[in-house]
Amino acid sequence: MPLTEGQEPRVRYPGRCRRRGGRRGGAGARSLASAQLVAAVHRITQALERVVDPDTAAWAALVGLTAGQGLGFNRAFILRVHGDRLEGWLGVGPRTREEGAALWHELRENGVNPLSTLERPDPAVVAAEQRRLAPLLEALSCPLDEACSRCHRPLVARRGHPLAPVRRWLALLGSDNLAVIPVVGAGELWGVVLADNFINHRPILPPVLDAASTLVQSLRTAVERFELLRRLSEEERRRITAEHAAAMLETARTLAHDLKNPLAIAGGLASEVAAAVGESGGDVSRQLAAIVDSIRQTETRLAELVANLASRATGTPPQAVDVSAVVERVLASFRPLAARRGIRLEVENRLAGELAAAVPSYLERCLENLVGNAVEAIERAQAAEGCVRLALSADHTTVRVDVVDNGPPLPPAMQTDPFSGGNTTRESGGGLGLASVRRLVDAMEGRVEYDEPVAGWVRFSILLRRWV
Amino acid sequence: MKAARLLFIDDETGLLDLYEAAFSREGYQVCRAATLEEARRLLAAGDIDLVVLDIRLAEESGLTLLHEIKSRTPALPVVLSTAYARYQDDFSSWLADAYVVKSSDLSELKRTVRACLEPRR
Repeated sequence: MPLTEGQEPRVRYPGRCRRRGGRRGGAGARSLASAQLVAAVHRITQALERVVDPDTAAWAALVGLTAGQGLGFNRAFILRVHGDRLEGWLGVGPRTREEGAALWHELRENGVNPLSTLERPDPAVVAAEQRRLAPLLEALSCPLDEACSRCHRPLVARRGHPLAPVRRWLALLGSDNLAVIPVVGAGELWGVVLADNFINHRPILPPVLDAASTLVQSLRTAVERFELLRRLSEEERRRITAEHAAAMLETARTLAHDLKNPLAIAGGLASEVAAAVGESGGDVSRQLAAIVDSIRQTETRLAELVANLASRATGTPPQAVDVSAVVERVLASFRPLAARRGIRLEVENRLAGELAAAVPSYLERCLENLVGNAVEAIERAQAAEGCVRLALSADHTTVRVDVVDNGPPLPPAMQTDPFSGGNTTRESGGGLGLASVRRLVDAMEGRVEYDEPVAGWVRFSILLRRWV
Repeated sequence: MKAARLLFIDDETGLLDLYEAAFSREGYQVCRAATLEEARRLLAAGDIDLVVLDIRLAEESGLTLLHEIKSRTPALPVVLSTAYARYQDDFSSWLADAYVVKSSDLSELKRTVRACLEPRR
């Protein structure tokens, strides 16, 4: 669905008009145009704060870029970084002049204002637009070379641009002026938005480029918010699952204890009496043997029932896990944040190929919690030369991961049992992070510890059974 | 040869009766404790050759006593006895010399006790 009418630009800027007063009558018209641009950015960024999923946010940003009452580009595309590639994600606008004319006509005929559907787009319209643009988005995808990944400033590219991917985009889009707006998060390239006016050839003026850049950064913020909310809800789900599992395990233990003990007593005493009577007891011996047999069968059935209940409760059983690899994954996810906050992340790995009995996703979640807490504690204390160190070691039974940081120590009230939950050093939050770590480590049949090995350093440790 | 002295610790007096009957018949001297306090008193008096300890006691976990025994008298064998097999996965239970799931069939417990006492003979 194209969203820009092929009309004269509505936006003009001081110093850009060739003759005094401009075509629309001077300073009044210019300030109106600027005000309209500001209002458009304001409206679109507000919408981005309310949308509920990344695709809708991306769609809203593209509609804002291309709507006549938005920033007025003829078309726009979003490419996102996936591994070492920039992949086409979403696009809005025509592929050719003819397509543009037809689509704009349709918009005018139907009296559609694209900005009115920013937050709740028609899924059928979005899907149709993406089907139509899929080949072009695929063609725009490219490897993420080093020069490209260092490009962090918005620009208007023209033929002969020094970066090869940009030259390729210009050629593929048949564009003579292409707005290339890098989307940067935590110092790293997150994606690129491309937008042009290939039909009406309207110049892309610096204020429009700035407005587009503002809008695109709002999109990144919105997507990061969704990802954070998704992770939080995933953690909540895991917490509920772990609590449910703990309750089921307790039921299994109680069932085993309360039923097996009386069975063991009855069956054991019957065996003793049977042994005392001996085979000479006739019917009594046979009856005692039948009682003993019946009790033992019941014990077996009960043991199966309890084992079944326990295995359902614990879910994924521990497996052989390369702890170093999990630690590397977690640290990689924290490096941009730590770099931005000037905190060093270090690894001291003394594992010589030892594996731990663990569940990879549980271990990852635990380490994310501990490293995240450490980074946050250092930042909150505004500690100079903040450092989070992960130390990996093993002995003949145990693999140990220490998360050590030079942030402030835990308050005395928390030091007795920091993993009990309900205590926190944060201004907000219920202290469930550490309780969640304990539950997950419990589920892996390991244990957690806290201490302050030397002054100025705090240490949280996860101890797991070494996989033999 | 002096009969080995076994201490059974369980809050189920019915099980203590059973252990006493079964292991006395095997020629052991049987001591019994239904609480940890009672068990600590008997252990302090000494002369116990092996402990059969229930994990889930009414007052507190038998694993607490396991830690105490192993820190004071590491050579004293302790056999953990429990209704719930998965306690075997508990780190704390690894200190024990053996682990037996409760059953009306005492043959496994008898074999385990014999095996744990063997090196001392």
